[in-house]
Amino acid sequence: MKARTKYTLISIISLILFILLWEFLSQTGIVSARKLPAPSKLFDTFIYKLSNKNPDGGTLGEHIATSMKEALLGFFFGIAIGVPLGICMAWFKKFDMFFRPLFDLIKPIPPVGWVPIMITFFGIGIMSKVSVIFIASFIPATINAYSGIKQTKDVHMWVAQTFGAKNRQVLFTVAIPSAAPMIFTGARVALNGSWVSLVAAELIASIKGLGYMIQTARLVGRIDVVFVGVLVIGVFGAIMMSTLSYLEKKFVKGGRR
Amino acid sequence: MTMPKLSMTKDSRETLLYGILGIIAFLFVWQLACMYTNFGKIFPTPLVSIRAFFLAFVQPIGRYTLLSHIAISLRRVLVGYALSSVAGVIIGLLMGYSKMAYAIIYPIFCIIRPIPGIAWIPLAILWIGIGESTIYFIIFMGGFSQMVMNTMDGAQNLDTELVGVAKVLGAQENQIFSKIVLPSTIPYIFTGLQTSLSTSWMAVLAAEMITAREGAGWLILAGMQTGRIENNVIGMISIGAVGLVLASLLRNLERRLCRWSVRSR
Amino acid sequence: MVREKSINQETPMVRLENLSKTFHVDEGDVRVLDSINLDIKKNEFLVLFGAGQCGKTTLLKMIAGLESSKSGSISIEGKPLKGFDPKVGMVYQTTALFPWLTVMGNVEFGPKVRGVSKAERRKKAQYYIDLVGLNGFENHFPSMLSGGMCQRVGIARAYCNDPQIILMDEPFGHLDAQTRYMMEEEVEKIWAKEKRTVIFVTNNIEEALYLADRIIILSECPASIQKEYTIDLQRPRNMVSSEFLRLREEISTLVELREGV
Repeated sequence: MKARTKYTLISIISLILFILLWEFLSQTGIVSARKLPAPSKLFDTFIYKLSNKNPDGGTLGEHIATSMKEALLGFFFGIAIGVPLGICMAWFKKFDMFFRPLFDLIKPIPPVGWVPIMITFFGIGIMSKVSVIFIASFIPATINAYSGIKQTKDVHMWVAQTFGAKNRQVLFTVAIPSAAPMIFTGARVALNGSWVSLVAAELIASIKGLGYMIQTARLVGRIDVVFVGVLVIGVFGAIMMSTLSYLEKKFVKGGRR
Repeated sequence: MTMPKLSMTKDSRETLLYGILGIIAFLFVWQLACMYTNFGKIFPTPLVSIRAFFLAFVQPIGRYTLLSHIAISLRRVLVGYALSSVAGVIIGLLMGYSKMAYAIIYPIFCIIRPIPGIAWIPLAILWIGIGESTIYFIIFMGGFSQMVMNTMDGAQNLDTELVGVAKVLGAQENQIFSKIVLPSTIPYIFTGLQTSLSTSWMAVLAAEMITAREGAGWLILAGMQTGRIENNVIGMISIGAVGLVLASLLRNLERRLCRWSVRSR
Repeated sequence: MVREKSINQETPMVRLENLSKTFHVDEGDVRVLDSINLDIKKNEFLVLFGAGQCGKTTLLKMIAGLESSKSGSISIEGKPLKGFDPKVGMVYQTTALFPWLTVMGNVEFGPKVRGVSKAERRKKAQYYIDLVGLNGFENHFPSMLSGGMCQRVGIARAYCNDPQIILMDEPFGHLDAQTRYMMEEEVEKIWAKEKRTVIFVTNNIEEALYLADRIIILSECPASIQKEYTIDLQRPRNMVSSEFLRLREEISTLVELREGV
């Protein structure tokens, strides 16, 4: 117990020293404030961006809202289609044989690679982002649901079968619940991928969102806004991931494999 | 995480049949869509795409042929990936092995960890300018946190009993590190290498789309900008293929180096 | 009393004097060992027998240098023990093989970290691998071996480091009964061929009687010496001889009585 208090203290001191050193380097001009704005400056910019639309035509809140909406929409569509597809591929053999080659073809293409095509189809609005994020979350959701079902222990299925369960009942009462931890792993990978591809898509072409905000700020040389944007992207990514972990703990019983 | 390979049994003929059926259905729908819907106004037919793919090996797109574009991207990925792997393993081992290092570094690392590598692109351009080192930096940031987390996880899950065994057999403190900590962390390092490889591959695409005039990422984007969608398709297919080859090379290496580990078999 | 007895004899291989051990945990102190006094002669096969979960492994870990004691002392050949002693080797309950090393790699680990040349340590490791009957399995990894084979590797690994004293912590606790009998015979054969001082912990009466020159019965938490039996039966022991059965009966009554209290 004592050792833990000691290390926590060291962590706090380390963090404070890091921020102070950053502030010091920037304030004294050892590192140019145009390359590394001081934390205090970043805080001011953060407050400023909450209500001000300069330089990118939107307040921080609007950008966050746009990005979250796009990311979550694409994510939910990806899960809603990927998980059932994975389950069907794992459960119905012919289904698997039919879709597998197609799936294997698109699986290795990084989601970012889809950005230009989606922009060509849907323009630079919300649709193109949602479809890229859909692909980013659809692929891991499918793969993990598939392996989750495939890894169902035979003995559990036999137990269900000897109790007289029909094929469909075995799927819904044994296979899917036992695949739940894997499905959640898939969701975690999917969410992470969604956020990354969202940022990429917004950087490449868009008119709103956090990625757009940092790209515009970069073009007009407002490095403080870039910093704030990058940090906000990190924070919201972390918030979404921990929300998902919380849900997983709540819904998956019996622990992960 | 990856799907197990289909076994070549009695069913293999059926598998092949249905697989070909699936591909044909896909190409057929693509062709029909091009012929009868608005889709065809912007998207090339399958035949045009396949022809363009083979032409790209000899006819340059932009300044280079397809293979050169891929080679350029490949070099960028490998440099950034190698740097992030080495740095990630060192920092991860340090944090996993020493509680003190963990206490000092982890809170600062936590600020960087959730930021996607791609989000560093604007900052990297402002810091370094546009050029090769910017792209390396972006790829580095893409893989770094995953390497650190996986390696640290491995070092923290060290079986302390084995450390005791080694000490009773006469191992010294520095031998404990090289003979016990390092080998038992290797499977975790490989997990990190796998995930980090796919993020690196994604980071190079994004970086090339935004800051480069060559490479597979540029190829894809230029296809869009010049309205030649077939280049776009070519770029995506080759990126996918190269990514697949790299990942399977890594898996083979893991199988060879971690023959003892249950996971790799 | 123990001390007086041994003054005139040669120095014991291991001497434990007033050895006690208390673990400090959040809920308070747990005393696991209570003033153990024990002399172990050279090349003796000593069995520590106790039905409880308490103290036996800790005692071995202390002799191995993995745990330290604040009260009492351990000396080896008259010299007080400090940290790890190259004269001590250990065989573990969980086998504790290095999963990333082959059978050969595991067995030669000790000589390797001590800087023995490759040719020499290979020769020696091969000798012990043959001795435990694993010839042909040199390049197998532990994950490919059965539980009994893993424990053979553990024994070879301990012997290959040339210790004078070998500590065995319930090495066959996880094995099935059949394998267990086989391994007991094996250990006796090896001990007969390669005489060492062995301190063997078990909670199996038959195993204790089959292997021991002397059995020390330990009491429940905290462990202290309750009774001592010197076993003079001829080796290899007949597990159904009347003397064997009588001793078995006597010890189990003793242990059951105590558990009943």
